[in-house]
Amino acid sequence: MPEAAIRVAAIQKSFPPARSGWRAFLQPFEKPSVVALAGISFEVRPGETLALLGANGAGKSTLLKILATLLLPSKGDATIAGYDAVREARAVRRQIGYHAGSDLGFYARLTGRENLRFFGRLNHLSETALTKRISLLAEQFRLEEALDRQLRTLSSGTVQRLSLARALLHQPHVLLLDEPTRSLDAIGASEFRRFLKTEVLGQGDNSLLFASHTLSEVELLADRVAVIDAGQLVVCDTPAALKHTTGTTSLEDAFLRLTGRAPQLAQEEEPE
Amino acid sequence: MTRTLRELWAFFWRDLLIARTYRTVFVLEAIEALFGVAMFFYVARFVDSPQLQQALPQGGGYFAFSLIGFVFLDYLNAAMDTFDRSLEEARDSGTLEHLLVTQTSLPAILAGSAVYPFAATTLRIAVYVAWGTVLFGFPLRDANWLAVASVLLATLLAFSGLGILSASYLLLFKRGNPAKWFLLGVSSVAGGMLFPVSVLPDWLQLIARLNPVTYALDAMRAALLGGAGVQAVWRPLLVLVAFGAVLLPASMAVFSWALRRTKTTGTLTHR
Repeated sequence: MPEAAIRVAAIQKSFPPARSGWRAFLQPFEKPSVVALAGISFEVRPGETLALLGANGAGKSTLLKILATLLLPSKGDATIAGYDAVREARAVRRQIGYHAGSDLGFYARLTGRENLRFFGRLNHLSETALTKRISLLAEQFRLEEALDRQLRTLSSGTVQRLSLARALLHQPHVLLLDEPTRSLDAIGASEFRRFLKTEVLGQGDNSLLFASHTLSEVELLADRVAVIDAGQLVVCDTPAALKHTTGTTSLEDAFLRLTGRAPQLAQEEEPE
Repeated sequence: MTRTLRELWAFFWRDLLIARTYRTVFVLEAIEALFGVAMFFYVARFVDSPQLQQALPQGGGYFAFSLIGFVFLDYLNAAMDTFDRSLEEARDSGTLEHLLVTQTSLPAILAGSAVYPFAATTLRIAVYVAWGTVLFGFPLRDANWLAVASVLLATLLAFSGLGILSASYLLLFKRGNPAKWFLLGVSSVAGGMLFPVSVLPDWLQLIARLNPVTYALDAMRAALLGGAGVQAVWRPLLVLVAFGAVLLPASMAVFSWALRRTKTTGTLTHR
């Protein structure tokens, strides 16, 4: 059996409480007491796409940041392609492409090409390989025009595509995307999803773990869905199985039922 | 080694390309330098006297003495400021997370962020000295350039550690640069920047002798004005190298700890 692309075992994460005024000086040294993840475990197989579904503050971004080596877990283990996200962080970074879902994270006065070249060099790509990868990704992502324009002149959608191109530049096997279509309009988001499905996931053994609030996106892309609520994994199964076990016809209803929000929603919708 | 050089080059090239988009800044800085040099020249003409010249250890008059003190302050400022300013910019532009998920190590990211600012500061200092030499008779003919370069390099090594400590403070507490305030504050009085330390009371002279800035300035003036070679300035060079040898690894360890701390508290990208 091939090694899991991503393995998360009993991951816990707590943060210190937010402080203001002079107490903010003590904040970096305070004991973590606010629970964000309360012991989550799951695996993503090579070539598989897993969606993280949960309300705001459920812990999805925290989990993605732990896997991207940007946060340290309080307890538990996380591995990418067999490498430990804490002890072998550099090896993990070789395996992953991370996309934070915002249109920040680039140098506004550099062109698309200059930005990609910079990040590619930091990922140890040779100049020849960089040139080839950039032109290939630009063609796939329809970024040819954007490559020679300063970032500050590009639309959010184009920057999002550029950000995904950056995540794929060094040909990682594992993609971690945090709300990848958050700042895209409906058409941009639809194109982005189509592109992700056909050009990125349709090729080879690329595994994808992504967080999203857009249920149609989850249904289109995900092989399985991990529903997270208040830092805990409620269930992890295929979209069809989630609907079947909850006796619902849509993923939205299944999600609401699984997170215990269905009655609340029903009350809210009840006419006075 | 080659890989590290490529990483450093990537940062230098990035910063050069960004600076290129603000072309008028180069011209404005050159004009600003001219006004700065002219100010020191005329202040020196006003205060210079045979007694004052005797009090200056390396000769050359008060103009040369004060101009070196001033441009050196610029260098010190760059060493103290570069790391936390780069970090602040990366945090505010959202690039910090994307830098930290690349395969480039943390020391290379820190060093890379400093390459262009140091090169730009060196260029700015060269412009100051060029204006001083061409228009106001700054005495450059005796300078020992090898010794000058050695002193500059040793100064960068010595004070970069303090800059990295400042960046660690910024990571944890989000604002402020206490190491810079403290060092520049103390050095402006007890560092020999604009007047020789010999005019200070004994207790301040003692502080000046403990301050590495005093050694760096003594060595710089001796090399630039007195033509002293590397052998002649070995003592202040040794002090600076020793200061850097202790402070650089210690500051890197503190920065790594601060980064781990922010990854634990989840405040890496907080402002």
